Amino acid sequence: MQNPLLSNRKSFVTYMGIWTLIISIHIFLLMISERVLLVFALADGFISNILFSAIGLGIWFPIFFAKSEKEKLVNTIVNHFFACLVTVAIWTALTYFILYSLFADTEEYLEFLRKSLPWRAGIGVLYFGVIILAYYLIIYYRSFRENLVKEMQLKALVKESELNSLKSQINPHFLFNSLNSISSLTMIKPEQAQEMIIKLSDFLRYSLSNNEEKLTSLQNEIGNINRYLDIEKIRFGRRLTVDLKGSESCSEMKLPGMILQPLIENAVKYGVHESLEESVIEISCSCNGSALMVSIRNAYDPEYHYKKGEGIGLKNIRSRIRILYNRDDLLQIRKDKDHHEVRIIFPQQ
Amino acid sequence: METIKAIIIDDEELARTLIRNYLKEIPGIQIIGECENGFEGIKAISDMKPDLIFLDIQMPKLNGFEMLELVDDPPEIIFITAHNEFAIRAFELNAVDYLLKPYSRDRLVSAVRKAGEKVRTGNRQTGKVKELINQPLSEKLERIVVKSGTKIKVIPVDKISYIEAQDDYVMIYSDEGKHLKQGTMKFYEDNLDGSKFLRVHRSYIVRIDHVTQLEPYSKDTYMLKLKSGVNLKVSRNGLKSLKDKFNF
Repeated sequence: MQNPLLSNRKSFVTYMGIWTLIISIHIFLLMISERVLLVFALADGFISNILFSAIGLGIWFPIFFAKSEKEKLVNTIVNHFFACLVTVAIWTALTYFILYSLFADTEEYLEFLRKSLPWRAGIGVLYFGVIILAYYLIIYYRSFRENLVKEMQLKALVKESELNSLKSQINPHFLFNSLNSISSLTMIKPEQAQEMIIKLSDFLRYSLSNNEEKLTSLQNEIGNINRYLDIEKIRFGRRLTVDLKGSESCSEMKLPGMILQPLIENAVKYGVHESLEESVIEISCSCNGSALMVSIRNAYDPEYHYKKGEGIGLKNIRSRIRILYNRDDLLQIRKDKDHHEVRIIFPQQ
Repeated sequence: METIKAIIIDDEELARTLIRNYLKEIPGIQIIGECENGFEGIKAISDMKPDLIFLDIQMPKLNGFEMLELVDDPPEIIFITAHNEFAIRAFELNAVDYLLKPYSRDRLVSAVRKAGEKVRTGNRQTGKVKELINQPLSEKLERIVVKSGTKIKVIPVDKISYIEAQDDYVMIYSDEGKHLKQGTMKFYEDNLDGSKFLRVHRSYIVRIDHVTQLEPYSKDTYMLKLKSGVNLKVSRNGLKSLKDKFNF
């Protein structure tokens, strides 16, 4: 990964600005306290500090690639300590030799240069430390920001999936068509309109209060399906007949809430919406001590039913069952030439 | 003022009742018939020649749009549906209005006024429906409706073997025979699933998995053999598309 100081113009300019300041101070101090001549002070200040600014940019790579988070603190400190010694030694030596060869005939300055080696090393260590610290700050700030963004994305994802599950529970066309039927009934049979509003409200309340993980009794689930089918019967009249078997004897068995609803909706969609004649939806339940089996069967006209693959509804049911029971074999689909049947087995605790 | 004669086509009885009740005391319009599916609708339109139809889109076997394709001289149309996703297509068909269920009496009455205006001024664009029905659809075609004699047939696209151009019509060859339908090759080329169908010639679109053989016919021309034994000419462009499809 690129050095953060080089990745944008602003941080690079800031970095170089700081070094310019250091160079100025360096020259100023040499001239004031050590009485070094301007030309030597200039050369000394520029050469030594430009060298270190280049080294400073290079230090990023060992830090970034060492991934020190995974190592023990002691190891990290020891590593950095040795890196510091080596870097500072190289820097001091380089500075010394360059300045030495530049001013080889000026004994006065060379004298100063020799004497200055210890404090050069000291300053080198200080620079090294500050740069390392700055890099660590940058790294931590970045990962902090990344985590923040990730967290926000995660929250958005959760919201979206909640919304999707809500959307998949209530079919808008069912809702609007039902409201249209109610609108019609208010003019001819107000009492029946009222009855339908209550059924629709109960249905919506059950749908909205449903929690993905919560189990409910078969009685509750069938009650809600009956409300839904009653509404559809008002809409479709003689075209819809429901044949419900075996739900009384299994009424206390548990299953996830709203799991049957999408299947019933599919049965109505392919059995009733696409049929000119009377259409029967068969719902049969059976149970023993360890499991509840529910089957939903409807006639469909293969000539008019071309959609291939599973719809979103069926996929959702499959994934919910997989998450809840940790099994893949509980949902079965059977098709013969003009009937479609879905069977689900719900294991009981 | 002449009274507008209208027919209601909707598969839900309560939906039809609502229209009738809303319009009971509105002068200038008379409901002359009710149909509960597209098949009845086609018959009623040709028998009664209404000025206006109230048309639902989602209906069994034959949806509202498919029904319109089979009507020879469509009257003015007011779509009434719970689906908002078909509005653009409805207006492309030059519909008078598009009402979303549930809707108010005022909304319906204003739609009827608009229709009345159109009927009275004779500002009807006959034939426009047919023309616009050839516009690209938002979804790939899944079935094609055709008239065979007095009967209406629905052909799933999976059963189509190939389509042949015939002037302003296309001949659709399926497992069960051939059917003539008004339309352009361009329309079918654009709206059939490109992974299943391929235009191999100015006059032919074939179902890819019905192809068994491609053989040279004369210099520069090729012949395509289908499962059914039919031979079809392949144009140079067609050959290129086939090469792209089968990587040879």
